[in-house]
Amino acid sequence: MIPREIDLFEALVPTLLFAFVLAALLLLLLDWVLVRYRLYRYLWYPALFRLALFIVLFSLCGLWIY
Amino acid sequence: MPPAAFSGVGNPRFLVPLRAAWRDWLAQDAAVLSYVFKVWLAAVLALWISLRFDLAQPRTAMMTVVIVMQSARSGMVFAKSFYRFVGTVVGILVSLLLVALFAQERFLFLLAMALWIGFCTAGSMVFRNHQSYGFVLAGYTLCIVGLPATVSPELTFTIAMTRISEILIGLSCATLVSDLVFSQRLWVVIQEAVRRRFKDFSDLLRLVAHPAAAPVDLLPALVRFASDIFTLESFRSAAVMENDRSRTQRLRLSLLNGEFMTVSTTFHALHALMQRQRRGGHERVKDALLDLYQPLGDVFTVQGRSAANETEAQIVAQGVRRYREDFQPLAARAGADLPGQLTREELLDFETGVDLIERFAEELQAYTNTYVAIGSGHHPLQEDLALDTPLELSLRFDRLAVVLAGLRGALTLTVLATLWILTDWPSGIEAIVLGVVTSTLFATAPAPTQVIKQFVAGALLASVMLYAVNFLWLDQAQNWVTLALVLSPVILFAAWLSTFARIAVFGGSALIVFFSHVGFGTGYTADPETYLNESLADVLAILTSGVMYGLIDLSNSGWMRRRTATALRALVADACRNPVVPRRAQLENAARDLVQRLGSAQRLADAGDREVAQWLLSTLETGHAVLALRQQMALLTREEPWLQLCLLRLADLYEAPGGTRRAATLKALEEATERLEQPQLRAQHTLTQVRALRTSLHFLRGVVLDEVSVLASVAPLEALQPA
Repeated sequence: MIPREIDLFEALVPTLLFAFVLAALLLLLLDWVLVRYRLYRYLWYPALFRLALFIVLFSLCGLWIY
Repeated sequence: MPPAAFSGVGNPRFLVPLRAAWRDWLAQDAAVLSYVFKVWLAAVLALWISLRFDLAQPRTAMMTVVIVMQSARSGMVFAKSFYRFVGTVVGILVSLLLVALFAQERFLFLLAMALWIGFCTAGSMVFRNHQSYGFVLAGYTLCIVGLPATVSPELTFTIAMTRISEILIGLSCATLVSDLVFSQRLWVVIQEAVRRRFKDFSDLLRLVAHPAAAPVDLLPALVRFASDIFTLESFRSAAVMENDRSRTQRLRLSLLNGEFMTVSTTFHALHALMQRQRRGGHERVKDALLDLYQPLGDVFTVQGRSAANETEAQIVAQGVRRYREDFQPLAARAGADLPGQLTREELLDFETGVDLIERFAEELQAYTNTYVAIGSGHHPLQEDLALDTPLELSLRFDRLAVVLAGLRGALTLTVLATLWILTDWPSGIEAIVLGVVTSTLFATAPAPTQVIKQFVAGALLASVMLYAVNFLWLDQAQNWVTLALVLSPVILFAAWLSTFARIAVFGGSALIVFFSHVGFGTGYTADPETYLNESLADVLAILTSGVMYGLIDLSNSGWMRRRTATALRALVADACRNPVVPRRAQLENAARDLVQRLGSAQRLADAGDREVAQWLLSTLETGHAVLALRQQMALLTREEPWLQLCLLRLADLYEAPGGTRRAATLKALEEATERLEQPQLRAQHTLTQVRALRTSLHFLRGVVLDEVSVLASVAPLEALQPA
């Protein structure tokens, strides 16, 4: 069971915040890969795709916690 | 781009004007409308999220939205958001530290605060663009979070957390909306700017190739190019955030910028040389050089007008290559065509001009090729090329100016804080916050006092709107929808105002001040007394920082202009004396940066600023020639003291211009040129070396001798000549 809140220097921080940061980092990594291999050519709307990708990643992390 | 694709043959004729009107609308009005809509959407979205999370001050989130969305371009919004976030976090950490240290002592707290704000303002003067903004933010966040804490220290952590949450919400909404809704890619703007610059430059090249009766004044164009370089560079650094463009394209852009710097400087040198020939009565030499240059200028005429887009640039690139291939015979023919009875000096003039044109053509080819590559994106960039010339815009700044700017920020804080403590004024904190914001935020603006005037006007407009919103409408708002309805007219109106470039600050400040005092938090909080106090505080704070900008004027004063001119000349002296030969790009960057920071480019009508701009061109021209000379000297098999003497004299002259020094420099240069003719020297060095040295020396002599230059105006020779 993963705790819902984490004690960071005596301030309780929701674990979801860490999940958010993790998702953002994952997104940056995937984004780098997509740019590197020029995969954005195949997408109609890269910005929307990035947002969707982020929501998917964040939700995955959230599901893993709860 | 649909309009371009549609405009083929086969369109019904009656549609043509409609299509043009549609294009115009799309280019101008639609951009404004979409921008206003985006600001509104992001603000309302931020409001909704803040209300959902039940945060204490949704207005902070909305204010963040309007601040970071001041640019319509996605990349700029990302960059600004990023630095706003970093600045806020740093500011909050420092506030927590200071509250922990001095919570009981208001005086010590304010002292530490003044130091921190001074430091941050100084930092914002050193760095550029959004980094500079990050420093400003780290400074004034301390006021926002730390000052209320002196009244109630136990709330510090809550205030800090609320602020950072709200700012994050605002940033997320702003970046999401600007990325998703009608997103305007920075890369498109960059391409437009690069294209426009290429066209302007083509115009100039053609103009000089076929001069009209009156001499062409290149100064405004050249100075505009210089500031374009910085605009493009800031776009480029922000475009990193729009990461669907490859890294090589950005590298190429930076390469293009560097190449453009050198090519425009060489062009100016060439033009100045021809002007000097004309003035000096060497019409024949000038005509011969012009004849030699004309084919190169004509290359830039494509279908009867200046080349602009990438396809035309491809034609130009081929033309320049052909010109360079044919250059030697062309130059030889031009030399043979010269009339026989020329003086030795005139021959030297001609030789110098030929060398300059050759170098110009070479640089022009590099520049055009890079431009074509950026447009098409096909040519692979050679890696070694990219590594060889990375354009790092150096941070060249005036230490004294930085210290004074820091002092100004700290002083504003001290004045307002004293007022607050002495009068026990309830809105003192608001006054301090806004005073510090305004006195640090515009430190890097070209004309801070103008900005402050607009800011006051914006604050007054905001007060009027606040009255209407706070006391007429806001008490009827029940939920998100009604709140949004109440706030929408203000957001739409002020955002629309800020789309006009001339009064952008007016609209922006109206929004900022409005969102600092709009009367709702988790509930309705407006009351007339606070409203009056805060409106008064705003105006007083902005006026105080206006006075401070007037007292410590770092951009518009003669003193600062003289300092910049001295710093520019010191660059030439450094190029002469520095044991390590500086790189050409270093000199270019440093000189342009100095003038850019002064903001002279925007005020060329002013005589003082014009003089600074002339010093810039003079510095670049002389600096280049000095560096070329030093490179040639490095190739020689042994050191020649008389060449060193020339450099030393030049350095002396540029360090403290004066008639005596100018005469001494001329003498050294002339003697050196004469020595080059000696037979024993010819035996030691190759013919090409001697020729290169001769043209460099002669060019420098021409620059120093020029009576119409800015150098001559401060170092007149006439005073020396005996009557």
